[in-house]
Amino acid sequence: MLEQLNEKDFGTPRRIAEQEVTLEIDGMQVTVAAGTSIMRAAAESGVNVPKLCATDSLEPFGSCRLCLVEIEGRKGYPASCTTQVERGMKVRTQTPKLQALRKGVMELYISDHPLDCLTCAANGNCELQDMAGVTGLREVRYGYEGENHIHSQKDESNPYFTYDPSKCIVCNRCVRACEETQGTYALTISGRGFESRVSPGQDQPFMDSECVSCGACVQACPTATLQEKTVIELGQAEHSVVTTCAY
Amino acid sequence: MKGSEVVRMVPDKNGQANEGHSCVKGRFAWGYATHKDRILKPMIRGKITDPWKEVSWDEALDYAAAEFRRIQKKYGRDSIGGIVSSRCTNEEGYLVQKLVRTAFGNNNVDTCARVCHSPTGYGLKQTLGESAGTQTFKSVEHSDVIMVIGANPTDAHPVFASRMKKRLLNGAKLIVIDPRHIDLVRSPHVRADFHLPLKPGTNVAMLSSIAHVIVTEGLLATDFIAQRCEDKAFQQWRDFVALPENSPEAMQEITGVPAELVRGAARLYATGGNAAIYYGLGVTEHAQGSTAVMGIANLAMATGNIGREGVGVNPLRGQNNVQGSCDIGSFPHELPGYRHVSDSTTRHLFEQAWGVEIQPEPGLRIPNMFDAALDGSFMGMYCQGEDIVQSDPNTQHVTAALSAMECIVVQDIFMNETAMYAHVFLPGSSFLEKDGTFTNAERRISRVRKVMPPKAVYADWEVTVLLAQRMGYTMDYAHPSEIMDEIARLTPTFHGVSYEKLDQLGSIQWPCNDEAPLGTPTMHIDHFVRGKGKFIITKYVATDEKVTRKFPLILTTGRILSQYNVGAQTRRTENVQWHQQDILEIHPHDAEERGIRDGGWVGIHSRSGETVLRAKVSERMQPGVVYTTFHFPESGANVITTENSDWATNCPEYKVTAVQVMPVLESSDWQKKYTRFSKVQDDLLKNAGEGTGNKTPDIKIKAVAKSIA
Ligand code: SF4
Ligand code: FES
Repeated sequence: MLEQLNEKDFGTPRRIAEQEVTLEIDGMQVTVAAGTSIMRAAAESGVNVPKLCATDSLEPFGSCRLCLVEIEGRKGYPASCTTQVERGMKVRTQTPKLQALRKGVMELYISDHPLDCLTCAANGNCELQDMAGVTGLREVRYGYEGENHIHSQKDESNPYFTYDPSKCIVCNRCVRACEETQGTYALTISGRGFESRVSPGQDQPFMDSECVSCGACVQACPTATLQEKTVIELGQAEHSVVTTCAY
Repeated sequence: MKGSEVVRMVPDKNGQANEGHSCVKGRFAWGYATHKDRILKPMIRGKITDPWKEVSWDEALDYAAAEFRRIQKKYGRDSIGGIVSSRCTNEEGYLVQKLVRTAFGNNNVDTCARVCHSPTGYGLKQTLGESAGTQTFKSVEHSDVIMVIGANPTDAHPVFASRMKKRLLNGAKLIVIDPRHIDLVRSPHVRADFHLPLKPGTNVAMLSSIAHVIVTEGLLATDFIAQRCEDKAFQQWRDFVALPENSPEAMQEITGVPAELVRGAARLYATGGNAAIYYGLGVTEHAQGSTAVMGIANLAMATGNIGREGVGVNPLRGQNNVQGSCDIGSFPHELPGYRHVSDSTTRHLFEQAWGVEIQPEPGLRIPNMFDAALDGSFMGMYCQGEDIVQSDPNTQHVTAALSAMECIVVQDIFMNETAMYAHVFLPGSSFLEKDGTFTNAERRISRVRKVMPPKAVYADWEVTVLLAQRMGYTMDYAHPSEIMDEIARLTPTFHGVSYEKLDQLGSIQWPCNDEAPLGTPTMHIDHFVRGKGKFIITKYVATDEKVTRKFPLILTTGRILSQYNVGAQTRRTENVQWHQQDILEIHPHDAEERGIRDGGWVGIHSRSGETVLRAKVSERMQPGVVYTTFHFPESGANVITTENSDWATNCPEYKVTAVQVMPVLESSDWQKKYTRFSKVQDDLLKNAGEGTGNKTPDIKIKAVAKSIA
């Protein structure tokens, strides 16, 4: 269902360059425009590296650490969304080590995320849910006893969408969408570390902020944190039609 | 979608016009389509003081056809006409003008583009040879200098504004020519390099003085001009703008902008690399609207800023399909593809295809229709998807004209302001209920696809077909794609367009024909459409609308982000949370002088009329200029605007009205009359038929109550 409704997300924006670069990803030869990210090069050849903070309408940010890969001859595990392709690179996107690292990342996310998937408005259309599936997360060792955000207040001031901070994974996609796609700079990440959450303006409700309600953040959000009220009310769509806006 | 119910709207990443972005209206404000105010049953009445009666489609169409024929018999063939909507599809617009030119047998067809971008069509055709913008939206990514004149993109063209801002953030320079301190002048991370806050009505003076600097400081693109433009016209123009009276110093008095600023902006435009001009209704809706458009084209030619990416002359259009409605022949003097009705070759082409004789004389323009109605010679009108009462200037004149007519047929999704003067109401369909195409300001034709069945049985194009049939003219189409095929067959710039190709390519920018099978993103690349570009002398003539002791302020009107045009759609969505009423923006000095406080009621008088709005004291205004929007009918913004209009196209001078503003305690006489009238009309609607889907438009009542509170 998701495949039909959502367009394929290549993770990072397309680069246009005269020069082409050929590299090897999981044993396959791949040729892409210079400046392309490893993530996009992989996606273009059909390999989907797990990701949360990257989406192809926004510049990569490199914060979720889910898209780690191994590159032959390099130490560590670079993020494939922020690392550009180089000629002759040999990249591996799936190894037991990577699998374990990604599971660990997911476990941390899920440990501070409500487990109400069945009744959540994003059910069936949630990238966090998808990634839990993709990474093979089977158990979460940390309980909810510690500090968490599960009881944060919802902001329902905007007539068209809600903001539910308890579900936010601080991936920054909404903030970048507001800056890069819309150009309004209404959203920021306020607070540091565990405290950090998205906020419109100076911790204002959406309606009181500079927000122009373009919805770019709602579209960019990989979770149910920013969600259309119509979807909350009606549920996920079952088919889609491409048409032209009448405004 | 869920079945035929819309769950959400998401802008398409592959959309070539918007590239995955939308504004609050497109993404969220579509609830009007299923609003309970939709009228779903045809209705008729003998007089506008009679209650509406719900009838079958057959009865309504038979009645309309019989009335039109009766009127033509009594008052002559030219006594009826039709109006094309800029919100309906190309195919629907094409059928309305075809209906007028075949079944009605005259050329009395016009479109709401008359009141917005008709000067663009005229001015660009004269200078460059084609009545349309020269670029794609994407072209802005290659601009080094962006000049915005009389447009407020962050409010009125938000999706394009976002793309423009992206380019500005990456280093392009910005010149804003606008009386108001619009958001673009200063917003987070964007700052205009030059803001020229000219007095409303002085665009032509400003453009001439910019041209003066370019010519006298040796900034002309001489090679480009020599190769691409008519030499004689150029020399005359050059000598004209070089006259000392056109210097920024001499014009300073008129425009109110310091000469040094003008010189700086002119130098930047001429020497800053790829320079593109974007302009809006602040250019066209003036007594010299067409002159200003030609002045803009002159600047682009003089600096060689045309015919490649990143440059050009770009009108920011009004409604979704204002370009398309003009393209398909909705003006009284033009057949589809901007070909004059006096051109016998074109006329014969259509005569053969349509099997009728077409009149060689242009028909009536919208304002002429009103005048003729008051003279008793224009008595019937078919008005599809356009609210002339709310959108045309000098409301009293319009309503008097409509009241004088014998049969007005309104086809709309809502009981709009014009429908209150109608005798036949035919339910319309929203864009979700039909197939067709829209054409945007980039000349981009995109498919509209049906996602739900028409709520009132028929799509708008089908209603026109049925009406034509009742009037004895057969239109035979099984699907809108066949209408497009006919347009393509008869219009050289559309020869290569078909639904099949649209499905393949996603969208097509016309001209699309054998020379350009995939369409034309950038126009005038090697030569101008008219051959050589033509410079036209643009002499500044002050508008007749002058400030006086009695009317010392200038009112200029416009739009805001959350509302769309007359608001019939957006007022019926949650967008009212951002804008519940039209307000009058006024500079603190002017407010203080008059004892006006923020949020207080003020009366606005002009020589046309008077209305009352709430005031907003704002530094965005310059002293001497006040501003309002026209999204709510009870505001009566157009009660104050005058019948002054562009000399070439009759586009109304919405942007300049001399007014006086004073604090008041109650609504104006017009508003009281309006409230009474619309209350009566609501009652007449309430009693239409028994047990049907029709409900009273309660939103309107609420809003009305607000204005007299
Ligand atoms: S609101 Fe959504 S997009 Fe924004 S940071 Fe949280 S999860 Fe990411
Ligand atoms: S997707 Fe690369 S770090 Fe998040």
